[in-house]
Amino acid sequence: MSGPHSAGDLIGGRYEILGDAGEGGMQYVYAAKDHVLKRQVALKTPKNDSARKRFQRSAIVSARVTHPNVAKTLDYVDDGQRQYLVEELIAGTDLDKALLVRTPHLDPYLAARIFHHLAKGLAASHHAGVVHRDLKPSNVMVTGGYQLDAIKITDFGIAKMADEEIAEAVEGGGESISASRTVVGALPYMAPEAIETPREVGKSADVWSIGAMMYELLTGNVPYGKGLQAVTKIIAAAPPEFPGFMTANPQFATLSKQLIQIVLQCLQKDPATRPTADTLVEQCGMLCYPVEPRFLGYVREIRHRAWGFVVVDDEDVFFHFDCVYGDKPVLGDNVMLSKFRGGGAWRALPVVKMQ
Amino acid sequence: MSELPQRYIPLGGSDSGGFSTVIYCTDTHLDRKVAIKFIQDEAEQKLILKELSALLKMRSKHVVQVYDIVTDEKDALGIVEEYIEGDSLWDSDCPAQSQEAYLKTLWQVAAGIADMHEAGVIHRDIKPNNMKLDPEGVVKIFDFGLAKQCGIDAHTKGFKGTLGFAAPELFNDATIAISPAIDTYAFGATALFLACKNLPAKMKMMPPLPITDDKFSGLPVEIHTELKSLLNACLSYKPKERPSMVTVRDELARHLLGWKHQALAVYQGKSYLLNVRNPSVELNATGVGKVEILYTGLKFIVSVAVGEVFINNSPAIPGEEIPGSCVVALGAAHHGSSRVYITFDIANPEVVL
Repeated sequence: MSGPHSAGDLIGGRYEILGDAGEGGMQYVYAAKDHVLKRQVALKTPKNDSARKRFQRSAIVSARVTHPNVAKTLDYVDDGQRQYLVEELIAGTDLDKALLVRTPHLDPYLAARIFHHLAKGLAASHHAGVVHRDLKPSNVMVTGGYQLDAIKITDFGIAKMADEEIAEAVEGGGESISASRTVVGALPYMAPEAIETPREVGKSADVWSIGAMMYELLTGNVPYGKGLQAVTKIIAAAPPEFPGFMTANPQFATLSKQLIQIVLQCLQKDPATRPTADTLVEQCGMLCYPVEPRFLGYVREIRHRAWGFVVVDDEDVFFHFDCVYGDKPVLGDNVMLSKFRGGGAWRALPVVKMQ
Repeated sequence: MSELPQRYIPLGGSDSGGFSTVIYCTDTHLDRKVAIKFIQDEAEQKLILKELSALLKMRSKHVVQVYDIVTDEKDALGIVEEYIEGDSLWDSDCPAQSQEAYLKTLWQVAAGIADMHEAGVIHRDIKPNNMKLDPEGVVKIFDFGLAKQCGIDAHTKGFKGTLGFAAPELFNDATIAISPAIDTYAFGATALFLACKNLPAKMKMMPPLPITDDKFSGLPVEIHTELKSLLNACLSYKPKERPSMVTVRDELARHLLGWKHQALAVYQGKSYLLNVRNPSVELNATGVGKVEILYTGLKFIVSVAVGEVFINNSPAIPGEEIPGSCVVALGAAHHGSSRVYITFDIANPEVVL
């Protein structure tokens, strides 16, 4: 296990450490058992001892946000030596690990759903007067993988601490940027003003970050690249290009085009012209997308290069190439799909090739 | 003797009801307001443990969050819960302001009760006083003081609950099994109360009288005919005739999305959108078959089918509802490659809270 604790340690006379539950740039994260309420929780403690005051401040800030798309703050413990933020334990992984490992990008149905939930969580925090400042895929937790059982934004408070490190690094320029792990992870999602005037970022910087994350989910790449060379590109903020596969198929083009429009609005250089989180919720609220369960299967047969069958749990599912999003699968390929009762056989839509 | 842990500083206010008292405090660790619920009667301390156990069984966005357990100066156990800003639905005018607000509130209440029932918990005191719309518009249900867990202790004798919202079978002299249908009745009464801020005299009698007429007509909010019969069914005298809360939830969701659905028909590489602005489409393969599809606001139906028209390989019948996602074929199988296929896929906006 990493950090100051090992399994069995008791925190605040109440929380027993069970094991690691991931690690943020600024903090150690443990899974723990709450002996008072007999349930599992997440326990976060800062890596940097000097951050004590800011850590409690950040806990208070995150406790102000109550929304199904934001991780719940349950408790705060200061045992005299360390400080701990207690959050609901989210049985999942972060956005990248959940969704961009087996598929290079997401189909528009899943992407629209994620966009809608992120916008909701962001709007709730902005209503509470809380700016996240460090939205990136590792600060979004997903449970249920592609089923998207829950999508929760986390680490609101920590962002304020990261902010300080980011501001210092950005002001220090090139070398200090590459030296800070926090900055390297956050950079691809940072708004131009977060780089140019890091101490004066507002709510619209969060909207940019959501746009950048959505761009990555839809295309498989961050909009302005990674590392130092991203800095000048983000500051220039030229509208990014979207790959042709997104709109090539009439089955998906309508929704893809709507998503592209919203992402482009989020990625506008002038913060004042970006949509507010509330507007974003409104726009996502008008998108039509199915929320059917997803299944994994493999391509058993292809005929006339036009249609074929996928086996899902020993059962055939009919698919047509018109219902494939992105790369066309070949015989034996693993695919993800939703299925619908057809006449006789199941019918698949959409079909997405898996790696 | 112990006292309330120092982290909780009483704000002065309190509310009492039944066996319990709720005091409001500031949790100084997180600088936020919390509600702490105590049972006054020493002999009834086991009730607070039952309530806690019910609360911890459920994971629902519509159930109040528990943070801590404390003891006060009399060694009474208290449940520290999330404080929800705003008025209870008893006092709130929000749900009756528009049809959408009304349906959205009812749908959330139904979803919350369905979540409880799925976790094996029966609330037994569903009423507008025990729910709030939080600042983000999410319905939260609280006060599980009468809650029972299915199978464990699910019998009762004599009246418990709130007049007007308590189901008629609760007034029986005999010991009865507690069923989720008690909550369904209370939900029906809540739905009626939220629309007109009152309940008919018949329902407030002990026991309430059977309701024979339609209670959901002529209300300040307009309700779709199908939905009216479902809500009336929640108030059925016989528990078995009340629908499950899952059914109620799903039907409310369908109506909440009225005129917001969208269907995409893809025909020879071209796409046609059907929605409120463009509610019908005619697809024609000359000399083989013709079909017209119509959006009614709640579903898509075949309005005209002439010649050889198949939906998922079965002959289309005018008036039939089109399933969620299907293939329409014009021309029977013997037409071979001149057969025309149209994919037809229905989607709707997701109601995200």
